[in-house]
Amino acid sequence: MITTLKSFQYFHPNTVEEAVQILNKYGDRAKVLAGGTDLIPSMKRQKIAPQYVVYINDISQLKHIDFGAEEGLRIGALVSHHSIASSSIIREKFQLLAKACNKVGTPHVRRMGTIGGNICMAGPSQDTIPALLVLEAQMKVVSLQGERIIPVDEFFTGPFQTAITGEEIVTEIQIPCPPSDSVADYQWVTKRTVVDETLVGVAALLGMDLDRGVCKGARIALGSVGPKPFRAREAEEIIKGEKLESKLIEAVAQAAAEETKPRSRADYRRREVGLLVKSTLEHLWSQLR
Amino acid sequence: MERELSVVGKRLPRIDAPAKVTGEAKYTVDIKLPGMLFGKVLRSPYAHAMILKIDKSKAEKLPGVEAVITSEDIPVKLFNSGLTDLLVPEEIAKNDPRDQYVLSNKARFVGDAIAAVAARDRKVAEAALDLIEVEYKALPAVFDVVEAMKPGAPKIHDFANGNIARHISFPGAIGDIEKGFQEADVMIEETFNTTKQLHCPLEPSACIASFDSIGRLTVWSPTQLLYLARHKIADIFDIPEGKIRWITPFVGGSFGNALTLRAEPICIALARKTRKPVKLEYSSEEQFIATQSRQPFTIAVKMGVKNDGAITALQGKLTANSGAYYSLSGTTTNVCMAMFATLYRCPNVSVEADIVYTNIPISGGYRGYGNPQAMWALEQVVDVAARRVGMDPVEFRLKNYRRAGDPGWTASLPIESCALEECIKLGMDKIGWREKMGGTKEGVKRRGIGMAIQRHVSGTQPMQMTHSNIMIKMNVDGSADLMVSGCEMGQGMFGVLAQIAAEELGLQIGKIHVVNGDTDETMFDDGQHASRTTYVIGNAIIETARQVKQQLLERASKILATRVDDMYVRDGQIYVRGDLENKISVEDITRRATYNFEGQGRNIAGKCSYVPKGNPPPYSAVFAEVEVDINNGATKLLKIVFAHDIGRAINPTNVEGQLEGGVMHGIGYALTEEYMVNGNNGVVESDSFTNYKIPSTLDMPNVEVIIVEQPTPSGPFGAKSVGECGLNAVAPAIANAIYDATGARVRDLRITPEKILEELSANIL
Amino acid sequence: MSKEIARFTINGRECELLIEPCTSLLEVLRDHLELTGTKSSCGVGECGSCTVLIDNKPQLSCLTLAITVQGKNIVTIEGLASGNNLHPIQQAFVDCGAVQCGFCTPGMILTAKALLDDNPNPSRDEVKEALSGNLCRCTGYVKIVDAVLAAAQIMKKGGA
Ligand SMILES: Cc1cc2nc3c(=O)[nH]c(=O)nc-3n(C[C@H](O)[C@H](O)[C@H](O)COP(=O)(O)OP(=O)(O)OC[C@H]3O[C@@H](n4cnc5c(N)ncnc54)[C@H](O)[C@@H]3O)c2cc1C
Ligand code: FES
Ligand code: FES
Repeated sequence: MITTLKSFQYFHPNTVEEAVQILNKYGDRAKVLAGGTDLIPSMKRQKIAPQYVVYINDISQLKHIDFGAEEGLRIGALVSHHSIASSSIIREKFQLLAKACNKVGTPHVRRMGTIGGNICMAGPSQDTIPALLVLEAQMKVVSLQGERIIPVDEFFTGPFQTAITGEEIVTEIQIPCPPSDSVADYQWVTKRTVVDETLVGVAALLGMDLDRGVCKGARIALGSVGPKPFRAREAEEIIKGEKLESKLIEAVAQAAAEETKPRSRADYRRREVGLLVKSTLEHLWSQLR
Repeated sequence: MERELSVVGKRLPRIDAPAKVTGEAKYTVDIKLPGMLFGKVLRSPYAHAMILKIDKSKAEKLPGVEAVITSEDIPVKLFNSGLTDLLVPEEIAKNDPRDQYVLSNKARFVGDAIAAVAARDRKVAEAALDLIEVEYKALPAVFDVVEAMKPGAPKIHDFANGNIARHISFPGAIGDIEKGFQEADVMIEETFNTTKQLHCPLEPSACIASFDSIGRLTVWSPTQLLYLARHKIADIFDIPEGKIRWITPFVGGSFGNALTLRAEPICIALARKTRKPVKLEYSSEEQFIATQSRQPFTIAVKMGVKNDGAITALQGKLTANSGAYYSLSGTTTNVCMAMFATLYRCPNVSVEADIVYTNIPISGGYRGYGNPQAMWALEQVVDVAARRVGMDPVEFRLKNYRRAGDPGWTASLPIESCALEECIKLGMDKIGWREKMGGTKEGVKRRGIGMAIQRHVSGTQPMQMTHSNIMIKMNVDGSADLMVSGCEMGQGMFGVLAQIAAEELGLQIGKIHVVNGDTDETMFDDGQHASRTTYVIGNAIIETARQVKQQLLERASKILATRVDDMYVRDGQIYVRGDLENKISVEDITRRATYNFEGQGRNIAGKCSYVPKGNPPPYSAVFAEVEVDINNGATKLLKIVFAHDIGRAINPTNVEGQLEGGVMHGIGYALTEEYMVNGNNGVVESDSFTNYKIPSTLDMPNVEVIIVEQPTPSGPFGAKSVGECGLNAVAPAIANAIYDATGARVRDLRITPEKILEELSANIL
Repeated sequence: MSKEIARFTINGRECELLIEPCTSLLEVLRDHLELTGTKSSCGVGECGSCTVLIDNKPQLSCLTLAITVQGKNIVTIEGLASGNNLHPIQQAFVDCGAVQCGFCTPGMILTAKALLDDNPNPSRDEVKEALSGNLCRCTGYVKIVDAVLAAAQIMKKGGA
């Protein structure tokens, strides 16, 4: 570890347009700096040594939280975990995202760290990702060439890898309104202490067919138990059109556990996946009935 | 005694606190000298490797670099980086191998110091490291003690066959162990493992060294043992000791981390080479991987017990992982054995230990020394034994513990005082022992309680040479300068020693100025180790203060025309007994003594050398309440009750603070702190606060401290020690509580959910 | 590499410095401005020792490039007391025995100040939560939490 950062050339664009122009010029030799809670430690640990650092945190265009019944939720990439966790609209309608953001790091890290930085870091245990997976979010990505929308499940390509190029920045996270009559939650256990990396994270969303009293469908996403957070599709299938009785919940939990590929503490993580899926589903089902 | 205490026993604010809350307090890392260079250390990426060649030419050419040094540039004198070998005669000290150089010529762990640079600023120094080219030849490495002792294992030091650095038989062994086993009705055999706990002071190790034009060296460093550090450095570098001034500024936590040399030798070598002041600050990562930490032990215990609960035999076979070098492994192992063997009465005791080298970072000394390791094993075995003979674990302990009058940690020194029964009684009430014992046996979340006891020391008597040398000089305003060697690392010695001095001198606390941590200004003291400061230095201060008081009273007696014996000092006034009107102020006396126009001038002052007469052991009883989720094995710590036998609390707030902090280390030891080394390449994975988790506010349960005061005869105002006691028995208390809740007995630290689940499933089968 | 000008307010005073952009705010405070009350421990956001207030919010100066705080208002531990009068939180830390080695203390006090400015009447759990990013290896946190709660009481009575 070094205690002083290696020299770099510094840019501080005030608009997205300026930012992407700089990135277009320097590509992979440049790094975007948002809250810095990941980039600065990575530089000190000499994992990366960018020649150009593009500080985007002053771009006021990217600090919005907008909500409309039609278009859903739009969060600027530079919104901090703290702001998301304390946003009344998010706490009301996207409670699991508020909960996930409130899990990230320490109070200081939550104030400094941004949601954009969290997803671009793209580690297997990043806490916002399982929530974004079940909310079926999409990322708005901008470069000098224009913008594109990347669905969340295509955004993460591997551990610490995303689908965006060095010329692009994420500008917005777009989250559709959850299906009516649905509830969702994020639950986790950490590795050792309360403020710690997530050992297993489970996000789940249950949609209800109120007429028939059954589950219309479920989305379940698992964090920290594979190269990247992912949807447990086989487990989800089991729930469709069913009542969530305890036997079924057991089966779903087991299916979810089987879909995981943890690297360390594998048996324990699988066991935790089963338990957390179970407790999350039980909690949600009890809310629906 | 006519006198009521007016300063001792009061919850006075610490005298160093205002400087610390305003940011004014200076730590080593805060000091800056004109023209100062910055040092950096190149560390081995290999766990075990020959160094074939070092090419430093590129680094030397980097603008701003002033020196690049390797083992060839510095004295080739082997030394032991632990400092307390200086406290025993050479014939004993030489049993502890001297196996380290300032910079190594063979890498023995990932992080071993190979080369160092001094440069204009940190950035240049860091860049220069990348330019030093080292050709290594990797050797097979071994990380585990069992593997290390096998025939054919890689040899880490030439002299250590089977990598056994030393075998120690506990000198206090008694009786006939086999006979003891035969007499037993019940035999308990258990093996325990402990983890390499890291001190994690928030201030990483640092040092500043500066030679002046006549070759006098000044060192600023956060060491706990400044005189010993100076002595060892003088020896390594062959500098006359009088030519070294050693200063210890405020220390940002240590917990034993600074009982060994850390950044000092390399920093001094750089200063010697460049003849400029050099500052060497460890990065946080270096603090984690390259400073020394707690010895991991394997402890195999065999205990024989009679059906009535009497212990007939106690045997321990210990293996200590010393890491790459020996350092304090000998003394730590000795303390571990002594604490293990002498907490309980037992006629047949035997303890043997092997200290083994491996290619992991060095083990040094850590708060509690070997006691937490010993208690982790012993206090669980006692829990097992009590349950096997159908006794309440508290009753079992009360039947067997060594108490006042019994032999202490060495047979030659009987236990001076003991208030364990009171501690246990109060602790039991507070935790609700009788109501809660046995736990809840239904549902997913099981509750249980457990307890453990410990006994520690107030200094090193009679194991090591120990003495404290104090000066007190009076100023003409009636205030006193207390000159005492030592280091304020958070333990609160400034305030506590000032309270003792104020009480004995009869001054208000504000009249005491502590002059500390500078070999130019204070006399010899062996340092801040073995929880000795309050007891040893406190007594030394009392003796010195009495001399000063005598001088004050003699002068006052002339003025007040009263016999010395008929006067006393209180709140800065000298009174004649029984006549409150007949008095004179200390200020008046000191002024008249110094500015004396009758040819009787004198700076009223005292000086004494004090060798402690005893070593009264403090006892503690720790109670833990837990809730264990038997589905996922997670433990929630609900409560810790800690009752401590302090003798006298010089400052109760301080005593509580020491214990609350110690308990936090104990909770970490038990539940959160896990030292991890990569089994393939020896890379320390516990290299940061992210990868090695100490408890935060949210991990701390409700901690209740109970102070039991039964003054001990030889203590200053009756005080015994507290510093290390907080953590010694916390982990076994938690483990016993987990057993009470679930029936799972976890024998290896850290207690993980996996280990609990494994025990639970084994129980079901 | 070229240097740039950073301008900000530090403890109420305007400050202008020529720095390399790779310089952290922590380095600027400790090395350039000699405000060594802000402590450096982990250097990577884990411990909270380097906490300062930037526009009244607690931030980690080890993760902040000094060049990014242009125009902002920074308060360090040196800026808290007014003259010889300690801030009520500082006083409470002294009175409650919340200080041992003192290395975590500046970060703890500034974090506590931001908390009490936002929430003058926190519960014990809220204090623990707010301080959960500030590690202390000495105290076991008991007296630190006590001190923050005591300070809240004093500040409510108009002590600040
Ligand atoms: C002590 C500590 C604890 C932590 N605990 C957690 C935790 O519990 N859970 C968790 O999920 N994370 C945790 N983190 C990681 C991290 O802080 C968060 O993921 C945070 O959200 C990162 O955001 P940032 O704005 O600080 O990112 P930065 O460090 O600024 O950037 C992170 C990466 O993303 C890139 N980037 C940032 N924004 C954009 C953008 N808009 N477009 C394109 N690329 C971009 C950067 O170039 C960089 O590579 C922790 C960090 C620390 C220091
Ligand atoms: S030094 Fe900044 S958080 Fe540790
Ligand atoms: S007082 Fe030492 S770290 Fe908190």
